[in-house]
Amino acid sequence: MKRYWWVGLIFVIGLILPRVVGEFWVHVAVEVLILGLFAVSFNMIFGYMGQLSFGHAAYYGVGAYATGLLMVKASLPLPLGLVASMATAGICALIIGYFCVRLTGIYFAILTLAFGQMLYYIIFQWYSFTGGDNGLQGIVAPDLLFSATAYYYFTLCVVTAALIVMWYISRSPFGYTMRSIRENADRTRFIGINVRRYMLINFVVAAIFAGLAGGLWGPFNRSIAPDLCNWHQSGIPVFMAVIGGPMGFLGPMIGSLIYTFLFAYVTGFTQYWPLVAGSVIIFVVLFMPGGVLGLLDEIKTKLFGFRRLAEDIDEPTRTEKR
Amino acid sequence: MAEEVILKVTQLNKSFGGLKATNNVNYEMTRGELSAIIGPNGAGKSTFFNLLTGYHKVDSGEVRYKGKDITNWPPHRIARLGISRAFQVSNIYPALTTYENIRQAILAQQKRTLYFFTPAERLAKQETEELLRTAGLHEHADILAGNLSQGDKKRLELAIALGSKPDLLFLDEPTAGMSGEENQETMKLVERLNREMGLTILFTEHDMSVVFGYARRLTVLHQGTIIAQGTPEEVRANQTAQKVYLGEEE
Repeated sequence: MKRYWWVGLIFVIGLILPRVVGEFWVHVAVEVLILGLFAVSFNMIFGYMGQLSFGHAAYYGVGAYATGLLMVKASLPLPLGLVASMATAGICALIIGYFCVRLTGIYFAILTLAFGQMLYYIIFQWYSFTGGDNGLQGIVAPDLLFSATAYYYFTLCVVTAALIVMWYISRSPFGYTMRSIRENADRTRFIGINVRRYMLINFVVAAIFAGLAGGLWGPFNRSIAPDLCNWHQSGIPVFMAVIGGPMGFLGPMIGSLIYTFLFAYVTGFTQYWPLVAGSVIIFVVLFMPGGVLGLLDEIKTKLFGFRRLAEDIDEPTRTEKR
Repeated sequence: MAEEVILKVTQLNKSFGGLKATNNVNYEMTRGELSAIIGPNGAGKSTFFNLLTGYHKVDSGEVRYKGKDITNWPPHRIARLGISRAFQVSNIYPALTTYENIRQAILAQQKRTLYFFTPAERLAKQETEELLRTAGLHEHADILAGNLSQGDKKRLELAIALGSKPDLLFLDEPTAGMSGEENQETMKLVERLNREMGLTILFTEHDMSVVFGYARRLTVLHQGTIIAQGTPEEVRANQTAQKVYLGEEE
């Protein structure tokens, strides 16, 4: 447990943050957390399973609409909305994933994209239920969480809890089975694993967490729009994972930190944000292919010799014993 | 003890395009056998393995394992019955450590791969250590498998195949890419698995010293057809076999 002192440190920094920075940056911090959760859930498919989903925003958007609609139309409390978001996103992913996991590589990417766009158009066109392109307004967090700081703390707790659960999954036999499918699907079949079924389960689990992230977004932004499902939105976690480093668990969260802060900062003085984002991506892909975590790993290797940071393992617990 | 047939292949056929890769093959294995399939490149050895393990669908014919019809079953179901294989080009998990490679096979065999919240590193420790030792890889436990030498990669894949606790093991050129010394070591391990653990093993091999030194029964495959079968001595004496294959080598 001593090795994870820095996690506690980050959490404490997270707790102090609203006391140190202004309200604008607290808003940005909420975005970092929500989009970070979204990106980490995306990375369960991208980094761990080795498939690029280009329609992950579908589950984020569905999650946002589930909470939004339940809060606005049925006046359900936020926590129930979040549970519903996870369930709805999971069910959508079960149906869509059933088809997607039959393919891999570019075909998987295209199919997830196509299904994502399909959900987007359904939400976009279904005026009577979703409000169509007008979006859905008046999603208001309960009084207790109404202030920016309060909602920030709430988000911090929910996201941290979700990350802990996902962290456990990533180190579990299921998590390692995902790595083994990424590394060599054939070999994995021949040790007796139904690769498609496992991919589907992972697809659903990832979507459940994307749905949770989406659910958190509505009350924060007070309104939602179909754009949350769009392929633009699906590109965001891809950027974040690539910037932060897809081979490490927290890579996409680091990516979210960089991407979201940069966005908030750059759009403060110019409208050419896409130009900046594009330059950052080109720089990362060309000069630090492993993202920020990959770079840290390289530095660490140079300083302390051979040891890998990305895939964490407890060597002492097993090499000592014999 | 009566000899129990555990694998029975009847009239197996498979073509790729116009090429008959497996042509009316009938084949049987009894429990405890250590046998080899030989034949020139493209004779259909790997295809034969691929058909038996569900990697390719058969065109016609039947594969029975312990009396059960397993023709065209998907690979993971065949694996769960206790049939395991190692590929010609070592098929491992390059970005996982040697230890993790083996543990993965063991966790799958123990049906623990749907555990979501127990850290994998706490599971199957003893079994993994044992298998690491059996395969002679314990010194490389924490090395990424992709960084192992060719010979060690082959041995690792053998260990992964053993992690499934098979009764029947197919090895496609188990010593390919190994030095002469490693060759013998690996084959001694294979023989030990057969003698001491009672595994039924079928392997293919190009190295004739390995084939004649270890296999107790040989099958010669040529253009998808079995042209000779018997003890090493019988095959050596067989005219047809000599003509198509052994003649070229010696």
